[in-house]
Amino acid sequence: MKVDRRSFLGLGLGAVAGISVSPVILKLTDDSSIWTQNWPWTPVPVDGEVSYVSSVCSLCPGSCGISVRKIDDRPVKVEGLDEYPINDGGACLHGISILQYLYDPARIKTPLKKKGDKFEEISWDDAVSMVAKKLSDIRSAKTPEKLACIIDKDQGSVSGLFKRLMKSFGSTNLYTMPSFESYLELTAAALHGKGTTIGFDLENSDFVLSFGAGVIEGWGSPVSCFKANASRKERGAKLYQIEPRLSNTAANADKWVPIKPGTEADLALGMAAVILKKNLFDAAAAAKFKGGFNKLAATLQNDYSLSKTSEITGIKETDIEETATLFAKAKMPVAVFGKGRGDGSQSLKELIAVHSLNCLVGSINRKGGAFIQPVKNYLEFPEESMDDAAKEGIAKPKFGQYVHDLFEKVNVSSQPAVEALFVYQSNPCYALHDTKTIKQAFGKIPFVVSFSSFMDETAGEADIILPVHTFIERLEDIPSGAGLAKMVVGLSKPVVKPLFNTKHPGDILLLIAKALGGSIGKNFEWASYDKCLETVAGSIWKSLSKSGHAILAKGVPEAPPEVDMTFLAGNPASVQSNGDGDLMLIPIDNMRLPSSAPAAAPFSIKTVSDEVLKGKDTVVEINPKTAGSLKNYDYVTLTTPVGTAKVMINLNDGMMPGVIGMVKGLGHTFDNKYVSNKGVNINDLIGPVIEPGSGVDAAFGIKVKISRA
Amino acid sequence: MSKVEHKSESGSEESTGECAAGDTKDDKGLGLGVIFFILAFVICFLSGTLLFPKLLYSKKEQPFNFDHKLHVEQTSDCESCHALREDGSFNGIPKLAKCMECHSETPLGETKDEAVFAEMYVAKEKEVPWYVYSRQPDCVFFSHAAHTKTKGMDCVTCHGPIGTSTTLKPYEENRITGYSRDIWGQNIWGIKKHSWDRMKMDDCAECHKKETGHQGYCFQCHK
Amino acid sequence: MNKNDKKAHKFGMVIDLDKCTGCGSCMVSCMSENNVPFKEDESNKKDSITWMRVYKLTNGKSFPETEIVYLPRPCQHCGGKGDHGHSPCVSVCPATATDYGYDTGIVSQIYTRCFGCRYCMGACPYHARYFNWWDPKWPEGMEKYLSPDVSPRMRGVVEKCSFCYHRYQAAKDKAYYDGREDIEENEYQTACTTACPAGAIVFGDLYNPAHRVHEIVKPDPHPASINSTVVGKSRNPNVFRLLERLGTNPKVYYLSEREWVRKAGDNYLAGEWDKIKNHHGSESHG
Repeated sequence: MKVDRRSFLGLGLGAVAGISVSPVILKLTDDSSIWTQNWPWTPVPVDGEVSYVSSVCSLCPGSCGISVRKIDDRPVKVEGLDEYPINDGGACLHGISILQYLYDPARIKTPLKKKGDKFEEISWDDAVSMVAKKLSDIRSAKTPEKLACIIDKDQGSVSGLFKRLMKSFGSTNLYTMPSFESYLELTAAALHGKGTTIGFDLENSDFVLSFGAGVIEGWGSPVSCFKANASRKERGAKLYQIEPRLSNTAANADKWVPIKPGTEADLALGMAAVILKKNLFDAAAAAKFKGGFNKLAATLQNDYSLSKTSEITGIKETDIEETATLFAKAKMPVAVFGKGRGDGSQSLKELIAVHSLNCLVGSINRKGGAFIQPVKNYLEFPEESMDDAAKEGIAKPKFGQYVHDLFEKVNVSSQPAVEALFVYQSNPCYALHDTKTIKQAFGKIPFVVSFSSFMDETAGEADIILPVHTFIERLEDIPSGAGLAKMVVGLSKPVVKPLFNTKHPGDILLLIAKALGGSIGKNFEWASYDKCLETVAGSIWKSLSKSGHAILAKGVPEAPPEVDMTFLAGNPASVQSNGDGDLMLIPIDNMRLPSSAPAAAPFSIKTVSDEVLKGKDTVVEINPKTAGSLKNYDYVTLTTPVGTAKVMINLNDGMMPGVIGMVKGLGHTFDNKYVSNKGVNINDLIGPVIEPGSGVDAAFGIKVKISRA
Repeated sequence: MSKVEHKSESGSEESTGECAAGDTKDDKGLGLGVIFFILAFVICFLSGTLLFPKLLYSKKEQPFNFDHKLHVEQTSDCESCHALREDGSFNGIPKLAKCMECHSETPLGETKDEAVFAEMYVAKEKEVPWYVYSRQPDCVFFSHAAHTKTKGMDCVTCHGPIGTSTTLKPYEENRITGYSRDIWGQNIWGIKKHSWDRMKMDDCAECHKKETGHQGYCFQCHK
Repeated sequence: MNKNDKKAHKFGMVIDLDKCTGCGSCMVSCMSENNVPFKEDESNKKDSITWMRVYKLTNGKSFPETEIVYLPRPCQHCGGKGDHGHSPCVSVCPATATDYGYDTGIVSQIYTRCFGCRYCMGACPYHARYFNWWDPKWPEGMEKYLSPDVSPRMRGVVEKCSFCYHRYQAAKDKAYYDGREDIEENEYQTACTTACPAGAIVFGDLYNPAHRVHEIVKPDPHPASINSTVVGKSRNPNVFRLLERLGTNPKVYYLSEREWVRKAGDNYLAGEWDKIKNHHGSESHG
């Protein structure tokens, strides 16, 4: 038989027809359409059983209760904890982003040792023995004061263990980073005596007079403040905001009173003068004044007349008088202080002057006022046993009261003033003014040990990094601070098993103490940090472990304490800004950008406006009148005595003419592409200004020159 | 190719009948072309029907055999193991802990499968990586509570008589989509005889239309 | 099931702009709840996916008369002209990848069905829809925090706010389990609502007079007297909707005591605002 062309045609047609009537086409069409929806690299989250674990957030001193939703073992969402005494549901954006911190690409996964410019991984045993060896050497040289330590906060058991280690070792050089809590205690100490602190009863106050406090921008305990602010309308309460810039708080307030930067103390004193002159002060409260109140009153009448105050502050006389009068005549007024978030540099004169207004109108320990209470030390550590070296060491004076004193001392000494430095959960190389000199000091310290969960500017300067669990991987007591009217200790719980080869900071200290041995080892004889906490939390442990928190104080404290006016009666000078530029550069606290450790999470950065961060550039706020011919998003160079930076500008009518506002929290330089190398760190441009009389760094800004870049 | 031919030869009666008709070469009306046409048609048709499914799906064995019948006899229902949680979600394939609720008291027997379970999973506290015949794409939301609890539907309606099986059939994974053959159904034409033969979106919609009068809005079953 | 079904809901939201602080909690809570990805640079807001976006509005006056208000903008879940369910985006979708749920009033978006033509984005007057120009990528290990309740998207599809529909499903599941017919107000709340520290967002059923959202909005169920395509206009003089006159009938309402803020909800010709600012829905209907 002949196979011809027609045969092949038949073969082909037959094949086509056969396939066509078979299910192949139908099925392949269906399958391939499903295939187009399958992107193997798109993650498919695994389903499982839902559970909720409640804990406490310690990203900021706000100490909100959080509820973590888990799918089997995986935490997937963080929300505010309902009925928690501080936030009662609701959470801030940083708290909600906690899981991004847990899986942060900048997490330090194992102990590291600096070798040249790089870090190499080492074992925990090696890391601890290296630290112990260095510490032993310092002790052998009989210079225990050359071990210094910087911790993030003063309260809580982990801070307690650091203090205990330093004391047992024989060093007084333990410093905390500047915080709102530290300013509250300094203010309370000056006016009401050491060991006290201040809380503000915002939720009950009917007139909040805020001297630049970012009541809805991260000041105090943020969620609690948001709630108090949101209920203002229903309660008929007023908020007056005094600051140079139309912040979110100013925008939300009943009245915004723009003020020349750095003159808040003068305004407060001017208002005090009005209250005294118009006899609007509370006589019973004034009876408790001592320390030269009459002298102060005389100074106020002479130096702070309405016209003088108006001239200094740039506020109309009528506005000053009216605001002071409304404040004094309100039923439950409270004046709040701490510019921005309250944790940046502050002038103690300003804080005391503002708080004096509370004292004058009798708003101390009164509903809706300021509560003066002793700092509650709820932990019961056993007494340290001290060997001779320790006893000698702690008799030596501390380098200074504040953390900037430590770096000052290091920088001016020709011999190493500090042989070894511990840094716990703080980022001084980023967060302190004039970062260049801070880094210079770090360079002069031979042995820096960082206790951090994340790589940051300071950890990068360390010789040894001992990575600690993030707070959702560990147990810890979290005392509330942040100027809350009530005092609550929360229990942060391990919501998830530690992801990496990290340790609890308390356990690391136990290991170091054990390696050092002797009386130091004896002072740390707990089996683990968890056991230690259970022991030292003593009377409140039951409540902590059962309900997740313990309330140390709530409600209005009893009888108001005495008021010591010595500080103001000495008529201290107001802080002036450095530099010779014609404009004033001031920092802006933005709710969406944390300004200290840890840095922002990717979600927070994502929410930041393009009027604040554009690409890799910081955008600064400037009034159109000041900007002259400059247009939105023009590049300019800012020059201060401390540094220069190229930034973009945003023409903003909410900014006082003559002032440039730059956000805090940008310009990180460590390795995390979502967070770092974005914009400028304002602390590279602002230098410290030490306030005479208090010694605190009180820089409120710096003079700046601006030129088109 | 030889395999294909072999397949076609062992095809249905229908095909042999058609081949026989093509063999009458003296018939002028039917040239070689027609014969080739019919031959190719039959081969391709049969390949598409019989061989194609075998190529399309890869067979995977379950980690070990599980006797549903035996367990149902002990527990007398499906819900003892496949249950709604208190929040109304469905637990799916039970976790190891669920198995051990009974097996800590009623020890595992001595079959080969039980030994695998005990050694590989119970001892190592590892979850059994079962292949799930009814696994749907990630974009699908399905509420067991709505169907079983509120509407009182039987498990069998969608899942078939699994409870009476003593062995687990091999898991046939579609090489293109990655999903189980049971979603499209065993029948390559997609023809179903029982309500549980297919689990495609159209099957959901069909039942919804019948029972509720409306096939439902997207979000009812999608996430 | 149709819009006359007695069991039908009309979920909606009212946002108190006088309480909103612009803190961004709603945005982050939404991103975290709905597996929204993030990129290295998110400062180009045109390609930054934020189902919930907080806009900053100013009154345009110069220092010191300047005022700011923040306006959170989720998907408005438009009911379309006459509130018949013909939302601008749904009407143009060639793939039926988005539909209007007459039982909830929620506009869906099905990512596997979407083929990325972006007609819906052009149709949406609120910029509530976002296109995935890139594949979502999480830093190594971070994909472990993804929620199984919302399927992650892929490059080339459009996504938007779903009023956290999965929370509605979960609430219904719980109700089914308890043998209840329907869910309670507090059982279904969106992630932005529960996160808002100021309590500025109120969410619920606009059909249910017992729900807070209904109490605040007091929606007029009848077409507005001056524009019959507008249905559900608020009878609260401080409540407004964005671009209300278009007849898109959004289910997201805004509340402010400040007139300039209410006026900012639409674009008005000179003198136009004064004419219509006092139309607040008929008082006669309950």
